[in-house]
Amino acid sequence: MKRKLNWESIVRSKVFWAVVAEALILLIAVIVRPDFLKIEYNEVTGMLYGVPIDILNRSAEIIIIAMGMTLVIALGGTDLSVGALVAVSGALALKFLRWDVLIYNTPGNYTVMPFYLVILVPLVACTLMGAFNGLLISRLKLQPIIATLILMVAGRGIAQIATNGKQFTTMYTPYQFIAQGHVLWLPLPIIIAAVVLISIALFTRKTSFGMFVESVGVNPNASRVSGLKSNRIIMIAYMLTGFLSGIAGLIYSSRISSCDSNNAGVNNEMDAILAVVIGGTSMSGGKFSLAGTVVGALIMRTIITLVYFFGIVSEAILAFEAVIIAVVIVLQSEPVRKAMAKRGHKKVTGGVVRA
Amino acid sequence: MLKAETKRQGLFSRLFNPKFVMVYATLGIFLVIYLFGALMYGSKGFTSIRTFTLMFIDNAYVGISAMGMTMVLITGGIDLSVAAVASLTGMFIAYGTSVLGLDPVACMVFSLLVGTGLGLLMGATIHCLNVPPFITTLTGMFLARGVCSLISRESISISHPTIDALAGWKIYLMRLVDGEWVKIKPVAYINFNVLLMIFMVIVGIVLLQWTRFGRNVYAIGGSEQSAKLMGLPVGRTKILVYGFNGFCSALAGIAYVLYVKSGWNLALAGGELDVISSAVIGGVLLTGGVGYPIGTLLGVMLKSTIPALITFNGNLNSWWAKIATGVLLLLFIVIQRIVVNYSARKKAK
Amino acid sequence: MQDNVLEMKGISIQFPGVRALDEVDFTLKKGEVHALLGENGAGKSTLIKCLTGVHHMDTGTILLDGAEIHPSSPQSAISMGISTVFQEINLCPNLTVAENIFIGRQPMTGPRIDWKTINRRARELMERMGMSIDVTRPLSYYSIAVQQMVSIARAVDIQAKVLILDEPTSSLDEHEVQRLFAVVRDLKTQGLGIIFITHFLDQVFEISDRITVLRNGRLVGEFLTNAITKLDLVTSMIGKDMNEIFNLKRAEQKEGAPTVFEAQHIGITGKVEDISLEVRQGELVGFAGLLGSGRTETAEMLFGVVRTQRGTIKKDGQTLTLREPLDAIMKKIAFCPEDRKRDGIIGDLSVRENIYLAVQAKRGFLKPMPRQEQRALAEKYIRLLSIATPDTEKKVSELSGGNQQKVILARWMATNPDVLILDEPTRGIDVGAKAEIQRLMLEMCEKDMAVIFISSELDEIIRCSNRIIVMRDCAKAAELDGECCEQSDILAIIANETPEVSA
Repeated sequence: MKRKLNWESIVRSKVFWAVVAEALILLIAVIVRPDFLKIEYNEVTGMLYGVPIDILNRSAEIIIIAMGMTLVIALGGTDLSVGALVAVSGALALKFLRWDVLIYNTPGNYTVMPFYLVILVPLVACTLMGAFNGLLISRLKLQPIIATLILMVAGRGIAQIATNGKQFTTMYTPYQFIAQGHVLWLPLPIIIAAVVLISIALFTRKTSFGMFVESVGVNPNASRVSGLKSNRIIMIAYMLTGFLSGIAGLIYSSRISSCDSNNAGVNNEMDAILAVVIGGTSMSGGKFSLAGTVVGALIMRTIITLVYFFGIVSEAILAFEAVIIAVVIVLQSEPVRKAMAKRGHKKVTGGVVRA
Repeated sequence: MLKAETKRQGLFSRLFNPKFVMVYATLGIFLVIYLFGALMYGSKGFTSIRTFTLMFIDNAYVGISAMGMTMVLITGGIDLSVAAVASLTGMFIAYGTSVLGLDPVACMVFSLLVGTGLGLLMGATIHCLNVPPFITTLTGMFLARGVCSLISRESISISHPTIDALAGWKIYLMRLVDGEWVKIKPVAYINFNVLLMIFMVIVGIVLLQWTRFGRNVYAIGGSEQSAKLMGLPVGRTKILVYGFNGFCSALAGIAYVLYVKSGWNLALAGGELDVISSAVIGGVLLTGGVGYPIGTLLGVMLKSTIPALITFNGNLNSWWAKIATGVLLLLFIVIQRIVVNYSARKKAK
Repeated sequence: MQDNVLEMKGISIQFPGVRALDEVDFTLKKGEVHALLGENGAGKSTLIKCLTGVHHMDTGTILLDGAEIHPSSPQSAISMGISTVFQEINLCPNLTVAENIFIGRQPMTGPRIDWKTINRRARELMERMGMSIDVTRPLSYYSIAVQQMVSIARAVDIQAKVLILDEPTSSLDEHEVQRLFAVVRDLKTQGLGIIFITHFLDQVFEISDRITVLRNGRLVGEFLTNAITKLDLVTSMIGKDMNEIFNLKRAEQKEGAPTVFEAQHIGITGKVEDISLEVRQGELVGFAGLLGSGRTETAEMLFGVVRTQRGTIKKDGQTLTLREPLDAIMKKIAFCPEDRKRDGIIGDLSVRENIYLAVQAKRGFLKPMPRQEQRALAEKYIRLLSIATPDTEKKVSELSGGNQQKVILARWMATNPDVLILDEPTRGIDVGAKAEIQRLMLEMCEKDMAVIFISSELDEIIRCSNRIIVMRDCAKAAELDGECCEQSDILAIIANETPEVSA
């Protein structure tokens, strides 16, 4: 009986369906391309290669951003500015690497400003922009969509001003190492994403921050009466999201060894929100699942990778993504889940009657 | 409190109805910025009618789409798919005429049907499945963009007599000199797109002010719960609003095709933001229930004066426009907040 | 001649665990105002929801003008001629007054809405109600009183036969109430049947012709208004039948116990006038008074949910500044709010999380309570309060009302407070759970906790309290000794039955 109950709660959880979706997509992938899940060890470079590694590597930025987005959505909000912050972060980093604007067209293996500033300044700037979002939402009580729309629009402008509209490139090895380097046979972005995931998981689940976020997301009034300082919690969540977007921005700009204020982080906010929603966190706030978010991000990347194999142009992948997302969202939608729960419930009560 | 107020209202009190506050704010700021431009760059021709009409011509497609968006925002929803649907329309027309050799009018009708259909589908998903509008229309945006790229990754240029005729059709502004009509100088004209936009503004006004459907749109935005309890057809209205917005997006796509005479899968990237922020700057509340087509039109104009100013300045870079838009958004949101708080305080009294 | 416009016979509704209505009869004549009275949870709103098609009755018949009807939704009820004006305004604040009256059935001239006719007819309607206002202003521009009038105008204009007024006066001042009553009397002469629900007894006597009283889902009786005294009415509403179930002794008043918690002259303009009170260790102070008499506002001030405008709050002789609830929690004060759904439970979280939430808030999120301790804490209180839940991880929203209330109580007991403020902890829960909660309250007093207990049910206040503060009209009306106090004393104060009034 107890096992049955657990099974029911698993079936009813949204994360479960996300995992099932990912498994199905992988199954299709393996049928189409038997070597889809193959990972090879290259003895010369000492690295692992293969499609799964590539999927993980390429989804690192979205996973990192989506960690913050999960908290923001669990609070019942959204952050539309993350994509713009990715652009700001990359722009600032490249600005500090290439302060000598005049020779921007001859990238070299050097940095103008100290390397720690190259890393630190973008992260601090993004955290501050997150704080700006948080302030508008917690103090001025603006709707999160509107509040973050401001930086979504203005952020790219700031990024372009930082770089004077130019697309700097760099050959500075330590900077390139961020996205192109390898640690422990794995590309560094995977390691960074894992570290972020673990840190956020520890931060939310080993402290009570996660529960406070859920509590405020479910019932802000009752949370206040119970003694939670919701404004502080909102501030932390948005600042964290800003900070994580900064990290993602560094990885992205390192990946392309340059900054591109127009295209860096485009649609990242959409991808991150979708990853969170597919991962089972409701847009109306409440219980969240970091693992679900990771699965959500992986689903999207797996689809992209799979569709590549069919030789379809990268931009068209969006259409396939949309179809799969639509299926997942319809399955997760309230009426559909209620209908399924009702059927499940009937079965259970039927069993009881028989027993 | 229950004492008699103005019993019959004259034109004055009707115009100064507090519900128009946001529209006046937009108009005021537009005038201030325009005046600023006139003082700074008047000598360079900023105040010429040509500059003014060009602002319309360059932004007609934004205005057309913003009319549909206004209606969606008034219901308290949002639609992120508008730019993608417009781009898809461009792709249909470009591919249809240039590659398949179809009649452009047939392509346009087809695009309008697809746009409306997609809108209705999204509306139904939002209402029946209770999926947040943000997520639903985001998926719609991905779908439309993806289909665009499936059709072609390359930009397809269009050269077809019908399209050329429509795009090249102009009404020159004339004036009477010595009993003879001459074109004013610098030459200013209005094209098909501008007429289309004006037509859609009128359609928007008529729908929202004259029909029960339009009033239901406002009621839903004011309080969906109350609208239900008052027995209004909430579901049908919401679905139709998204359908209308889909139609507007496709129409905006047609206007854009006439403007650039090509179709490109990445055209109008981020255009949904332009449309949404125009509406917000025009006084449409993102929380729903408040907004006017005229306000949105002013918002489009206000937003287009900024790039115009930057062009006239010559030293500033175009990215300042983005920051200026952000600042304007912040400004308007704060004004809205103050207006809302003020009326709340007043009510509390 | 058909005299009764509405007849409801033998209405019963069973909710999970509760018999919400049990064989209730109700009749409404043409041209009468019929007051429907009862304490919270007596079944008034269930009966109304039955009539307006929100709930579906299990047994019983509804006859409208002698014909049987089956309202299935609010819309269908409206189309049959039953319109309702709710306590909360169910109109659109962004639309104009005129539009709110006519939306959905606007007069048209050809394809377009005839705004002129709408505005003219709206102005006429409002003027007939004695209000000449600018009907082209948005509804939100006007006070709640005007909004209430507008919703009545809308309800009446739908050719109603039955008009239900569900607590329409709770947010109106005296002058506005008179204005409303003038309208009601006018509607009465037009032959409308009006059902009037309120908590204000004075108003019942002023406006109604007949009174039906419900208690615990049962019909207590139907009275002619001019044949019953206020005192009898209150007695019939509150009832005494529960005395037998409870066998509790109030806490022994300890001699010379120190004052733990006191408030001096606290108040917020328009909500609560000057209130002073003090509570000693191990003492239970009861707050009696009708809903809306300022009890809840006082409790919220004492806990920092709303900020006081004047006066001081002291604990252990030390003046407190309460900016938000956390400040009060840090000073070992706890508060079970009245509105369990809105301010109490966090529905999606588990029983365990709901219980340790306030303790954790006190510690700050950086010092989390170890999981075993959380579970031990939750299990301890589940046992102590006998909360019916299969395990600590059950979602709290899936528990019954009484168990949810116990979970909230557990949340506050876990913070180990010196002062516990309970606002209607026994509302809307079944009799057994009520008795348990009262027993727990008294046990806490035994353990030297100071308890402030707010309730609308006089018998439980009298049974438990050492001292009783009676509130009336947003102010303290009297302070009585709990030992030697009769229900009739309190009723007299609440009903304000001074000789001049009853004469």
